[in-house]
Amino acid sequence: MKKKMWSRIVAASMCSALLLAGCGSSGSGSGETKDSKEAGGESSAASELHVALAANPPALDPPSVNSNIVGGIGIHVYESLFAMNQDYEPTPVLAESYEVSEDGMVYTIKLREGVKFHNGEEMTADDVVASMNRWLEVSAKANTLIGGSVFDKVDDYTVSLTVNEASSDIIMILASPIQFAAIYPVEVVDKATPEGIDEYIGTGPYKVGEWKQDQYVKLERNEDYQPSEGAASGLAGDKTGVSDVIYFDVVTDTSTRIAGVKNGQYDVAEEIPLDNYEELSQEAGVKVTAERGGTLNLFLNTTEGIMANENMRQAILAALNCEDILMASYGNEELYELNAGWCVPTDAQWGTDAGSEYYNQKDADKAKKLMKEAGYNNEPLVLVTTEDYAEMYNATLVVQEQLKQEGFNAEVETYDFSTFMEHRADPKQFSMYITSNSYNMLPIQLSVLDSGWAGLDAPEVTEGIKAIRQAASDEEAAKAWEDLQTFLYEYGAATVLGHYTGVTAMNEGVEGVNYLRFNTYWGASVSK
Amino acid sequence: MLSYIGKRILSLIPVLFVVSCVVFLVVYLIPGGPATALLGMEATPEQIEALNTELGFNRPFFVQYADWFAGIFRGDWGESYFLHQSVLDAIAEYFKPTLSLAILAQLIALALSVPLGIIAAYRRGTVLDVAAVSVSLLGAALPGFLLSMFLMLFFGVYHQWFPVAGYASLTEGLGEHLKYLFVPALSLGIVQAAYITRMTRSSLLETLYKNYIRTARAKGLKEAKVVLRYALKNAAPAILTAVGQSFGSLITGTIVTETLFNIPGIGMLTIGSINRRDVFVIQGVVLFVTLLYVLVNLLVDIMYGFVDPRLQPGRK
Repeated sequence: MKKKMWSRIVAASMCSALLLAGCGSSGSGSGETKDSKEAGGESSAASELHVALAANPPALDPPSVNSNIVGGIGIHVYESLFAMNQDYEPTPVLAESYEVSEDGMVYTIKLREGVKFHNGEEMTADDVVASMNRWLEVSAKANTLIGGSVFDKVDDYTVSLTVNEASSDIIMILASPIQFAAIYPVEVVDKATPEGIDEYIGTGPYKVGEWKQDQYVKLERNEDYQPSEGAASGLAGDKTGVSDVIYFDVVTDTSTRIAGVKNGQYDVAEEIPLDNYEELSQEAGVKVTAERGGTLNLFLNTTEGIMANENMRQAILAALNCEDILMASYGNEELYELNAGWCVPTDAQWGTDAGSEYYNQKDADKAKKLMKEAGYNNEPLVLVTTEDYAEMYNATLVVQEQLKQEGFNAEVETYDFSTFMEHRADPKQFSMYITSNSYNMLPIQLSVLDSGWAGLDAPEVTEGIKAIRQAASDEEAAKAWEDLQTFLYEYGAATVLGHYTGVTAMNEGVEGVNYLRFNTYWGASVSK
Repeated sequence: MLSYIGKRILSLIPVLFVVSCVVFLVVYLIPGGPATALLGMEATPEQIEALNTELGFNRPFFVQYADWFAGIFRGDWGESYFLHQSVLDAIAEYFKPTLSLAILAQLIALALSVPLGIIAAYRRGTVLDVAAVSVSLLGAALPGFLLSMFLMLFFGVYHQWFPVAGYASLTEGLGEHLKYLFVPALSLGIVQAAYITRMTRSSLLETLYKNYIRTARAKGLKEAKVVLRYALKNAAPAILTAVGQSFGSLITGTIVTETLFNIPGIGMLTIGSINRRDVFVIQGVVLFVTLLYVLVNLLVDIMYGFVDPRLQPGRK
């Protein structure tokens, strides 16, 4: 009898399992769509590329948001008048040519004719004028550098830019990939609200097929794409898409991105934590690339309390051991570089280590002496940080430890990212903080020079920027930047801690991914 | 019965009112607003100020609250700045994956836990019992995220039977839908099963030694009938409570599992909206989750009456 009882229990469990399975099979009429897509992928070079991103883009409006995710997707959809080529030279994209008036105040820019937006309409001067004037208004970077400049229509295919001040870098600024000057149709600009645009129409090699919040942005190849002259180079040239469709999948969890690239669900996974670099580079079927991405920086309060004292700030700089900080943040010597410069070290014009005598000093005696001279009386030094960015957080803890060792009363305050940003913007609420900042194309775009960033408000900065911009030659501009970088160190306003790399993992079958400030995927395809 | 349900629903109003006050206050007090999140890391204070004014966040607290509260009754829960849709639409959209996941996880939990609980109780003290209790303790002790990662590695990376993450909506076909939901549901189901197994076991044990069970056996009834019809039915209210609680926690969104498996559900919406300071969404989601939770509890209370008529409200 007992046996019977057991068989019934087993039968009951089987029934529930069957019920589950039954749920699974009923009504799966349209279930074939995705499977057939996947099966198609195996036959030849897949025309779908899946890129796993670490965050959901807040908007698909590059001019108004300073975000790598927005820019990285945006470069596939929108184009600007000029863009950087592989050698960091501004190159015409939607522009054909330009002329500068003798006094350097008016730029007359000729547009390419016959370029079509994704909605089929032709791009004309009206679209360019509307987009560029909005860019000048909403892009903080553009506003700081050439605010007050105006774009006007000359004829249907010519626009003029009147600047406030003559400068040698105007075209460089127009070509800058961060918060880049995307050209939208005039109707889209007219309908834009302070929260951004709500139609995503550009002239780029891909058009936005679908944007599912928190899931993916699907880009479809723009079959009517008209490339500018020349082969693809950086963000310029012929960017005709290779894959039919690119999915930017939002995968916030790191371990999920890694698992996904291992099993082939994602072809590319961006922002791989540096801890996983070694493991993934040994994994069969996966390749890893590391591109120099920017600098990890320590910003000091220069206006409030004891921090207003230059000796105090110099004492802090003297106490730092950057090697330890970078090792704690990045965990592998291949993934960071000790260098005092704020710009790309290999950049012929802006790469300089001026002021390096103040960098990575590891000088306890000097720190103690300067601290005394500053009259430091154990006032608490507040390091604000956020755990949302592991490298910033780890570096902060090491800096705290190094300062404590030299007798500073260093405290760490940790917040979520938004709250951190709030504290960071108010010099009354921090003594110092660390952020990792992506490279800028021009030193004058550096956040450290912006008084809203860490409250640095010295006349030398304004004069230094002026000297760079009004320099008669490239050499003179480079010299002016060297002087300004030296001043930043001498004044103890901030220090670079080191240069970091960004790691991307991809399947071995992925070809054609390039990098210029962002990964570019128009030339990319995957064979499975 | 109906008046009982009516009374219970009326008593929800103060609960929801208090929750709405608290949530609004907390969201009002946390630093960083949607403007900061919308404009990115290097926006100027002037830009942020301008956007805040535009969005109405510079108005006095009570004006903002009254505005929002009145809106709720009109069915206007506000607009999301990031999703470019109304809060109610967003909740409706993000609730679908959560609901599917909760139902599937609950079915898995029941399929695992009830037979296991019955076996453990019926074979009390044997190896089977010890094994069932140990497994359920392990399930309860194992952190959900760890279990999820093991399952993800096993099913997604090593065997590649299921995708590691992602979501396909029902419109893409039920098979596809379940393919993406199975591993996360299994992970949630195992954790929930641990709790339900123990509840099933202990409440069944209690009834198995009651006099009427002895009588039933003495009558010569089959063991299966004794256990499944007499004992299990009387143990049902306690099991139902456990199931209700577990379903309540599943349906209100599981932040960790949804984030790990990249399922755009209520949990992901909650954490996303907090990070983005998408204030109306935060308020809306919390209110919605509260409402769901109390409704699930109400439903469980009503179901008691059906399972065990002695527990029907109003019955003397």
